[in-house]
Amino acid sequence: MKKLPKILLIITLIGGSLVYWIQNQPPPIDEAARQAGEQLATKGRDNIPACTTCHGSKGEGNFAANFPRLAGLHPDYIIKQLQDYARDPLQTGVKLEPIARDYSKTPRIYSDLTVYTPGTRKDPIMNNIAKALTPTDRKNLATYFSTLPFQATPQPVDFQTLERGADLALRGKPEYGLPSCDSCHGPDGKGFGPYFPPLAGQPPQYLIDQINKWQTGKRDNDSLALMQNIANQLTDGDKMNAAAYFSNRSLIVNWK
Amino acid sequence: MKLQLILLWLILISSIGLAQELDPLEVRPSLATPRLSIPTNLTTVPVVNPGEYFVPPYVEDIPDDNFGELVKIGRNIFVNTQKYGKRYVGNGLNCTNCHLSEGRKANAAPLWAAYGLYPMYRHKNKEVVTFEERIQDCFKYSLDGIAPMVDSPEMEALVAYAHWLSKGVPVGIALPGRGFTPIKKTRTPSTENGEILYKTQCAICHGKDGLGYKYEDDRPGYMFPPLWGPDSFNRAAGMNKVKTAAQFIKANMPLGKGFTLTDDEALDIGLYMWIQSRPYDPRRSIITNIFMPPPGGCE
Ligand code: HEC
Ligand code: HEC
Ligand code: HEC
Ligand code: HEC
Repeated sequence: MKKLPKILLIITLIGGSLVYWIQNQPPPIDEAARQAGEQLATKGRDNIPACTTCHGSKGEGNFAANFPRLAGLHPDYIIKQLQDYARDPLQTGVKLEPIARDYSKTPRIYSDLTVYTPGTRKDPIMNNIAKALTPTDRKNLATYFSTLPFQATPQPVDFQTLERGADLALRGKPEYGLPSCDSCHGPDGKGFGPYFPPLAGQPPQYLIDQINKWQTGKRDNDSLALMQNIANQLTDGDKMNAAAYFSNRSLIVNWK
Repeated sequence: MKLQLILLWLILISSIGLAQELDPLEVRPSLATPRLSIPTNLTTVPVVNPGEYFVPPYVEDIPDDNFGELVKIGRNIFVNTQKYGKRYVGNGLNCTNCHLSEGRKANAAPLWAAYGLYPMYRHKNKEVVTFEERIQDCFKYSLDGIAPMVDSPEMEALVAYAHWLSKGVPVGIALPGRGFTPIKKTRTPSTENGEILYKTQCAICHGKDGLGYKYEDDRPGYMFPPLWGPDSFNRAAGMNKVKTAAQFIKANMPLGKGFTLTDDEALDIGLYMWIQSRPYDPRRSIITNIFMPPPGGCE
């Protein structure tokens, strides 16, 4: 009888740690979704071309043609980008999904109402592809690409460019109030969580193009217009230095 | 004033657990004034003119001598206090989390604007404090730790770093960009507004629960630092004053979009941060800490 409290205590301790361990397990990969995603990504469907023709057979991107890598990106980021590519803000007669108002966005003024959209991303290639995808397709593709392993090949960059790029990536331009790239895009531009995509391992010209798109208003899908404010303060030299610096970073991504 | 504060405190305590979910689609008066940006996608953030603020020397120009070595150590401590100043730190913050861009950014209490001003009279200590003593206060309260001795190697390195950053600044003159930014209140701050603003403007980085996010690899410290909770600054910190926090937020947050919130909105968020739980004030007894409102409420 005297032992009972002790046994109870031990059982609760073990049970508690078991529950803690189970809750802290990374969620298992949805294998069915991954396979469906792989099928669509490598083979394509009716009017959807195979993603791998442009984004590389392992999702590693294409440095020569500036196709971004998709391997190892956060699944929610991929889904969000595909949604943003598919959204056409000026199309009439569409039923808008209920979206949280984001007042930091450029207001789009219709005759009778002002809509603060979550932003769009214009690209002649990806717009059409993304519009043909169903929500399930997006989820499947995101699961497939996010679980692919990826290893970056650091590009050679001359010393001065690297030094200037590092200055921007690690310190930003404090005299203009511009924070460092790494304070949002993660240490070494590895990316952080669903909102902040990696910059390392992306083709440098692709990065420059994206910043240009923000500056010209072709892309404004970033949360809270965070990146828009950064992009508007970057000079052409800054873009090149930063892109070269990030293409010089080494990076290994493995799905845990 | 005191009574009001205590009442407020009691109400806050009793209302814990009653916080309801926010409906993002509901139109709220506080957010009914949209932040208009120019439709041509021009920048919405006031752009700093070149030459408006002092520009400290570049990291690549740290000299290659003994002084340079000390400066590098000081910079390491400042940027990665979790690793290089570990024995003095009690929470999860680094100096750069509040003194942004390695202590260089104007309006984020930059080191170069502070160095030439000390020794200086300070109301908090009610005496003239030296630069070292000022740093000790940030260790004790902002980093919720213990103060390094004024002649400890860490302190010497930090002072060397500040000395190097302030190369060429005039002594005894408050430079533009010192401290944060002055703000003026036009109405009483409201925690309800603060909560809405926090959830819409800050939560994607600092987390829905305000506890921040650690780095994904095992390096110490936070990618996005906690604004409250056990790993944040304590109740005696300057940042726990509603006004100081609001001044910081107005000038620097959301990151990269300083000066986009209005003064009142910054105060709302400051008050919302102030009512959260954080480490106790080390200058007070436990009893006072539990039953009295923390210092720094809005005056
Ligand atoms: C014809 C070539 C091509 C094909 C096929 C293609 N893409 Fe793309 N993709 C691009 C280009 C070019 C971009 C960069 C567009 C831009 O500048 O915004 C891009 C960008 C993306 C991005 C954004 C990446 C980032 O880091 O923001 C995602 C996600 C994406 N594609 C997914 C897909 C998926 C999924 C498929 C298959 C259904 C696919 N793409 C097929 C060319 C292609
Ligand atoms: C305040 C936070 C913040 C800072 C600082 C920041 N970014 Fe970004 N950046 C973002 C966000 C958020 C996105 C993703 C937008 C989205 O969801 O589509 C982004 C996206 C990008 C992209 C597009 C990536 C892709 O795969 O499509 C590039 C390129 C980029 N940033 C470059 C930079 C550079 C260079 C710097 C430093 C000068 C920088 N960023 C600093 C927030 C930031
Ligand atoms: C939680 C945020 C926080 C952290 C972390 C922090 N500080 Fe501070 N620091 C402040 C605040 C708030 C002030 C007061 C600025 C004011 O009153 O304008 C301040 C002021 C200072 C000043 C005087 C600035 C002036 O203009 O008079 C120095 C020097 C300083 N801190 C050094 C440090 C050092 C060194 C560290 C790291 C050991 C550190 N701080 C960490 C918040 C912080
Ligand atoms: C883009 C991401 C981002 C957003 C959005 C953001 N912050 Fe921050 N915040 C940071 C980062 C990163 C730091 C640390 C700065 C550094 O280390 O360079 C920080 C530091 C702080 C600090 C000082 C450090 C601490 O832990 O106390 C406060 C206070 C703060 N933020 C408040 C806010 C408030 C209030 C908002 C909403 C108006 C906000 N932030 C929005 C990224 C963000």
